[in-house]
Amino acid sequence: MAKLGVTLAGLELRNPILSASGTFGHGLEMQHFAPPGLLGGLVSKTVTLAPRPGNPNPRICETEAGLLNSIGLENRGIDYYLREIAPTLRAAECVIVTNIGGERVEDFAELAARLDAESAVDALEVNLSCPNVQGGKLPFATDPKTAEAVLRGVRAATRKPLFAKLSPNVTDIGEIARAVEAGGADAVTAVNTLLGMAVDWRSGKPGINTVMGGYSGVAVKPVALRCAWQCVKAVSIPVIGCGGVGKAEDVLEFLAVGCRAVQVGTSCFSDPSHIARLPAEIDALLEAAGFHELAARIGILQAGGGAPSCKPGVAVKA
Amino acid sequence: MPAPPPDARSFLSEVVSVTPCGADGVLLALRPERALGAVRASRFFMLRREDGLSPAIPRPFSIYRQSGDSIEFLLKVMGRGTRALAACSPGQKVRTIGPLGNGWPALDGDGPPWVMLAGGVGVAPFHMAIEQALAGMDGRAPARPEQLFFLFGAANAGMLYDLAAFERLPARVFTATVDGSHGARGNVLELLSDLQRRGVIPQRVRLAACGPERMLEAVQHFADERGLECWLSLESLMGCGVGICNACPVPTKPDGPRGSWPNVKCCVEGPVFKSDEIALHA
Repeated sequence: MAKLGVTLAGLELRNPILSASGTFGHGLEMQHFAPPGLLGGLVSKTVTLAPRPGNPNPRICETEAGLLNSIGLENRGIDYYLREIAPTLRAAECVIVTNIGGERVEDFAELAARLDAESAVDALEVNLSCPNVQGGKLPFATDPKTAEAVLRGVRAATRKPLFAKLSPNVTDIGEIARAVEAGGADAVTAVNTLLGMAVDWRSGKPGINTVMGGYSGVAVKPVALRCAWQCVKAVSIPVIGCGGVGKAEDVLEFLAVGCRAVQVGTSCFSDPSHIARLPAEIDALLEAAGFHELAARIGILQAGGGAPSCKPGVAVKA
Repeated sequence: MPAPPPDARSFLSEVVSVTPCGADGVLLALRPERALGAVRASRFFMLRREDGLSPAIPRPFSIYRQSGDSIEFLLKVMGRGTRALAACSPGQKVRTIGPLGNGWPALDGDGPPWVMLAGGVGVAPFHMAIEQALAGMDGRAPARPEQLFFLFGAANAGMLYDLAAFERLPARVFTATVDGSHGARGNVLELLSDLQRRGVIPQRVRLAACGPERMLEAVQHFADERGLECWLSLESLMGCGVGICNACPVPTKPDGPRGSWPNVKCCVEGPVFKSDEIALHA
């Protein structure tokens, strides 16, 4: 058995696998498919101050190699979360992260203050990057000053570790990562969904009701990996990789570029039990390759030198 | 925030057979790697090949029949997901998640007769519904054959999937096709109205319907107007089938029996709804 444990923002994770927000429910809905005791952590679907009924149908559209969504952060609000869901998480055998979202900078601080006393919650993930809710306005994660302001407000409201979930839809994600680090984030989650769209050329109808929405799934992995790496280079706090993770190899690739942990999202829809088998699959891969400690595989990327390990599509003579 | 039913799980099944059915359907028989208990009609499973041919998102299918250690699904081949499943060979493994959802209410013999309305591939949850109604559900009085009217409608005869299997069941079977190629010309509700006018089916009945959304809207309207008890099994776009993706919201009647939240998840709170709980044309 390889050692799979990692530490992240002061939290001990039995392995580097967390669920990604929005793909695993708010609480323990998936515990029979994926027992929390097999995971590093659970990240809740976003909780907002007021209840949000979500967007009209259609909310998802599968494309050739990924999934577009525009759910609209459907949730019953912080009161419901604290009353009905958080208590059920107190005995959960993994790290519990509550993802919070807001429409105004102050919303985030208020949410953090409300959650601060809840013992079930080990950390907060600040959703700066949902593409589906601001009514056309850009997410907070597209402006470093606003992103930093959100984190400062949240930092002042809670002592819990803070993850800042960033958007890939920016020119320089490293700049945003530095801003949230300056604002007090303890880790960066890279990344949320890519902004995308789909259309039926016969009817002219868009694939999802809001026309544009969040694109996820295997197709986005190279983009997410690049974003995660840029964050790793930009900040000294840990980076949690997220985007297109489905297989054990994907997890080890995000770790190779320097991520401390990894979130699994859209692939939970393919099979909600697979996330719980991932740690054993990672273990098998590591052991087969003669590695006995996962933490030692973090940041092994050889950038700036060495031959590329991923050959281009054309034949290359050795 | 409902969780999936406690018996829901994820496992691999082996393909036993793939048999063409009707103009564009197949019957897919699977043998789960571990035995399943008896599954209630109109519960469903998410199915997906894991060899790269299926899309990433599994597709939901009502259980069609269950016998011995195998479960059978009726698929209309419509897109990538159903094409991949229809192209399975015996022995192949298929990711199977379920049983999911609630299933039909007790189709008992204690009240007015049941009229089952199927539209096209919406026929899938009715084979076992008839079998279970006749056997008795939830300890209630079994329905007698003369209490079960099965009305099967489709665009054309080729989409009256596996009709012969229904004709072998001890229920009264009637058909309607829009093009008149089989049974009455017209849709399934016109057929019902006609059979009631002729006194073949009484006015006071209970309805159970499955089919395209426009058909279910019409059935809901029909039931509302006449004050009939009516249950609808919805076909919905689903991302996960287990309540976590929030992609299958069904609008609820404001302050109706399903509570104050404006929608319910088709996958874990349905797919069967009493028609006065939901607002299909919202």
